[in-house]
Amino acid sequence: MMQGQQRRNLLGPALLTVLLLIAPLMIPIYWTMILSEILIMGLMAISFNLLLGYTGLLSFGQGAFFGLGAYSAALMLQGGYENLFLILFVGMLVAMLAALAVGIFSVQLDEIFFAMITLGFGMLFFSVAHNWRTVTGGSDGLPVFSLPSLNFFGSQLTFYAPVNMYYLIFVLVFIGCSLLWLIVHSPFGLILKALRENKQRVSFVGGNVKILRIAAFAISGAFTGLAGVLFCLFNNMATPEFMHWSFSAKPVIMSVIGGTSVFLGPLFGAAIFFVLEQIIIQFTENWMLFLGIVLVFIVLFFPEGVFGTLRNKFFKQGSK
Amino acid sequence: MSVHDVLRIENLGHSYGKFKVIEDISLSIGKGEMSALIGPNGAGKTTFYNAISGKFPPTKGKVLLNGKDITGLPSHRVVDKGMCRSFQITNIFAELTVAENIFSPLIIQQNKHFKLYGDIFKDQQITEKAMETLQQVGLSDRADQIVANLAYGDKRLVEMAIVLARDPSVVLLDEPTAGMNPEETENMISLIKKLAKNSGTTFFITEHDMKVVFSLAEKIYVLHQGHLLAQGKPEEIRANEQVQEAYLGRKVHA
Repeated sequence: MMQGQQRRNLLGPALLTVLLLIAPLMIPIYWTMILSEILIMGLMAISFNLLLGYTGLLSFGQGAFFGLGAYSAALMLQGGYENLFLILFVGMLVAMLAALAVGIFSVQLDEIFFAMITLGFGMLFFSVAHNWRTVTGGSDGLPVFSLPSLNFFGSQLTFYAPVNMYYLIFVLVFIGCSLLWLIVHSPFGLILKALRENKQRVSFVGGNVKILRIAAFAISGAFTGLAGVLFCLFNNMATPEFMHWSFSAKPVIMSVIGGTSVFLGPLFGAAIFFVLEQIIIQFTENWMLFLGIVLVFIVLFFPEGVFGTLRNKFFKQGSK
Repeated sequence: MSVHDVLRIENLGHSYGKFKVIEDISLSIGKGEMSALIGPNGAGKTTFYNAISGKFPPTKGKVLLNGKDITGLPSHRVVDKGMCRSFQITNIFAELTVAENIFSPLIIQQNKHFKLYGDIFKDQQITEKAMETLQQVGLSDRADQIVANLAYGDKRLVEMAIVLARDPSVVLLDEPTAGMNPEETENMISLIKKLAKNSGTTFFITEHDMKVVFSLAEKIYVLHQGHLLAQGKPEEIRANEQVQEAYLGRKVHA
């Protein structure tokens, strides 16, 4: 009888969740902050991989949606709107609407052309953020001086302490990843994989390729926006760098390092990325040189990413 | 032309600039009829198929499916109206399982393609219909295999199942036996016969292999240099001198 392409083994993710929950108790504050950043960028990379790994679209403009989330949060906090849920909602909504608009123009293109048009849109958003000084603070960015707090069963939770901030990020990244996990395993998710495999066939079984891709792009944008909101809270700042094309390259690199064919691959990619950076900057300032070497090594010897290749080696697997 | 015509083509033409690939093709196919479109290479068979199935709109003429005008509709709308096709080069979802290949048309048919939650493997409406379709083509024991790992003949069967999954009223098969060995060809012929008999689906095939055409078709249309040269029952086509000339041209005059 028919079964899911991979037995939905939740043991690994459950173990990871527990580890992430207790991690701050066991590692120094500095590494808790690194871990916060890994989680945020991991969420961004997983959102990005909804497009690359599942839909077959290489977006090079994700920074724009990340930045829009971050700026929305910064502007709201500066304007005195301190309700956490409202900030999250608005950040995601703004990013999603922007992704919807970009998607409408981009999704009829494929491969390098799709990458280029999304890159172009990303640069456009970067320029606006960089030059519209009165609203965005220009190249200085928008600082955030007060963070939202949360009423938690009567006691007021604040997020100024790095550990508190870590748990806020952990919970929201967990929710974001869970929702994305549901989506990739839903009927819509299967249609996305079908699009990745053969968009012409999707069209010839009755699927509207354009609308389906726009939907994927908007969803990816919304969750990328969530990551942006979190980064603004974590960083106390929204800067135009988030929208720069080199920032958009980060989820691409992380996904390739971790593996695009496994759901959590990009998160592992983010972890490898940051841990490597931490190790290498102790010895040299040229950490990009070593990142380049690592990237070449991984592409050559782990064609499906570290996580993907190891998984295929040790577990017999079904379809991606 | 009778009211029972499932597919009716009126004065269909397609040209690239000044070059007319096909011109003035009119035909009508009755419900449950098994017809074939034949013609030498470059006669315009594939252009004809593409123009009526929504790959691109024809530059001239009309296509009527079950009495409704579907001329120039995009492919996904043509499928919604009840016509589904296969391709000369196998067109499937290679890295998905056989079952998942069949789920895709069913998800879309049942309007679940924007459903963002829920396990398809637990959706009985979909799994049962998928299993039924796989049984029709004889692939039910391979539901969990990755399509890319299947033998060529089985891949063609997967495409057949994809095409049949939504119970289309008209099925267009573009060279269903292309590239198959004699045994696979035999299987495909008997499968198409069986399907036509059991489901009442209207099949319209193009084919290179005359043996396949004559063993399947009740009615044959001959396309030559973009024009419909002849139409009729197999024995009429066999006896038609114009057709013989079109196919064997030089030999006849030699």
